Amino acid sequence: MSKVNISNLKKIILKEKTSYIIFSITLLVILVFSFLHSITFGTVDISVKEIYSIIAYNVIGIEGIDNLSRAIIDIVWIIRLPRLVLAIVVGAGLATCGVVMQAIVKNPLADPYILGISSGASLGATLAIMLGIGRKLGSNYVGISAFGMAFIVSIVVITLANIKGKANSTKLLLSGMAISTLCSSFSSFIIYTSSNREGMRDVAFWLMGSFSGAKWENLIVVVPFVLLATIFFTTQHRALNLMLLGDDVSITLGKNLHSYRQLYLLITSIVIGFLVYNSGIIGFVGLIIPHISRLLFGTDHKKIILISALMGSILLIWADVISRLIIKGSEIPVGIVIALIGAPAFVYLMINRNYGFGGEK
Amino acid sequence: MKLNVKKLDVSINNNHILKKVDIHIKNKEFIGIIGPNGSGKSTFLKCVYRVLKKYNGDIRLDGKDISEYSVKKTAKMMSVVSQHNDSQFDFSVLDIVMLGRSPYKKFLERDNKVDYDIVYESLEKVGMKNFADRSYLTLSGGEKQRIILARSLAQKTKCLILDEPTNHLDIKHKLQIMGIVKKLDITVISAIHDLNTAALYCDKIYALKSGTVIAYGTPDEVLTEKLIRDLYGVNCKVVQDEDLGALNIIYKPL
Repeated sequence: MSKVNISNLKKIILKEKTSYIIFSITLLVILVFSFLHSITFGTVDISVKEIYSIIAYNVIGIEGIDNLSRAIIDIVWIIRLPRLVLAIVVGAGLATCGVVMQAIVKNPLADPYILGISSGASLGATLAIMLGIGRKLGSNYVGISAFGMAFIVSIVVITLANIKGKANSTKLLLSGMAISTLCSSFSSFIIYTSSNREGMRDVAFWLMGSFSGAKWENLIVVVPFVLLATIFFTTQHRALNLMLLGDDVSITLGKNLHSYRQLYLLITSIVIGFLVYNSGIIGFVGLIIPHISRLLFGTDHKKIILISALMGSILLIWADVISRLIIKGSEIPVGIVIALIGAPAFVYLMINRNYGFGGEK
Repeated sequence: MKLNVKKLDVSINNNHILKKVDIHIKNKEFIGIIGPNGSGKSTFLKCVYRVLKKYNGDIRLDGKDISEYSVKKTAKMMSVVSQHNDSQFDFSVLDIVMLGRSPYKKFLERDNKVDYDIVYESLEKVGMKNFADRSYLTLSGGEKQRIILARSLAQKTKCLILDEPTNHLDIKHKLQIMGIVKKLDITVISAIHDLNTAALYCDKIYALKSGTVIAYGTPDEVLTEKLIRDLYGVNCKVVQDEDLGALNIIYKPL
């Protein structure tokens, strides 16, 4: 009797494992397909064969682009490809950090920007664009200033939450909200008192996020870092699971979460800072993708980190394609596209599927 | 596993909660801790299971000071079922019970066949073996507590701490949980509100009042009409039932 049942349990485990593996492989295939396919979209018509021969030439040195013009080669290699790689990295990074941040603050409504990082970044960008602060830092001084402020804000939030006893999820959330509000009001103040109309538009565009600033020299830093962070967090599934049960329960299960939380916060802050530097603020991905993964595979972080990273990448690839194509000859901020796809999808999940957003169904 | 607590003194925000409490628990004893709300039962247990670290006094597990153990080590020595076990996030029953194996896991170590066998065995012991793929939040209160008990069993400890785990359960689920625990034959330290339940299962009872131990002994010795009046300010009649051999406490209305 008991033998029958233990094989039953094994069957459940095996079934879950198989469907997880099949699903991850499917997502990987979709990602590769999206990558190969989306690179052919653009305002300039370039044939598929030309595109791949340019990539082949640059990556593995296969000849065969002698008859192509320099402009076409540049469009593919300097504009389209880095942009695509950036979309993939940002998607993976935001989704992973979203999952981790929801665990850190134990709140299903959290997203990667919850600890005031986005308001910090906006303040940095506003200071740079409107007041010209940090202009000496080179052509991407807006990004650098945003990265700097985002990082400072997350450190301030973590420090604040640690004053008078160790940080817990509530203290983190509250200090995040306070600092976030402070930064936003500073930004609003600067924008309100300024008469620089063009600057306002720049700030707005920057805040809504775009991949148009993708450059290989930045990607070389960001890609490995986001990749390593994602791999690192998949190895941390037990600590992440325990975070959702709370600090007290975790101690009785052999883990004092305090140091884990600090480390995770530091890593996510750096990742988000990098992403903000390269693409501005892209909302919603870090909130909705973790929930879709949970809808499909439950709460166990062993599975949902990787699934989230893959889905985030795929979503951003196509959101970027749409943002480039929806208005001919112009580009809208990718953040708008995400919100337009994401919000209805979120509502659909909420009313149509039997899903409790982490909580009770 | 034995536990020796000497002169445990705890103050939180100028509230003197535990006053030089001495509690000694031998291996495989089933110990009940009774006392009114706010008498310090939970605070005492929290010091023992290391959630509360600011205390004065001496807590020794198997003769060694508790602070000399890592939390990972103590998680292999004692497990805890407490009153509230709700999460905002929905785990499957399997995920929850599997977390009981985490003290045994090193970095990058995967769950293996031994873990799955232990998880299954634990679920079987609490009578929930067919619930592995259910979602935890859809379970009833009694089922949830049994799953948390299964998680504690998966920790394979020699000591189980129960912090009023049966508080909001009906009588059947209460007896069910206590029965499972009694059968484990390990050291059990349980805060209990229901005195009849305490009489039924405990080997020894400590009575706490305003942070002081006012009585210690077998249920027969401790659960007297006088003590219950001193402890709770409630009049009652204590009857020894001839058929069942059990102590029965009948309360008089206030």
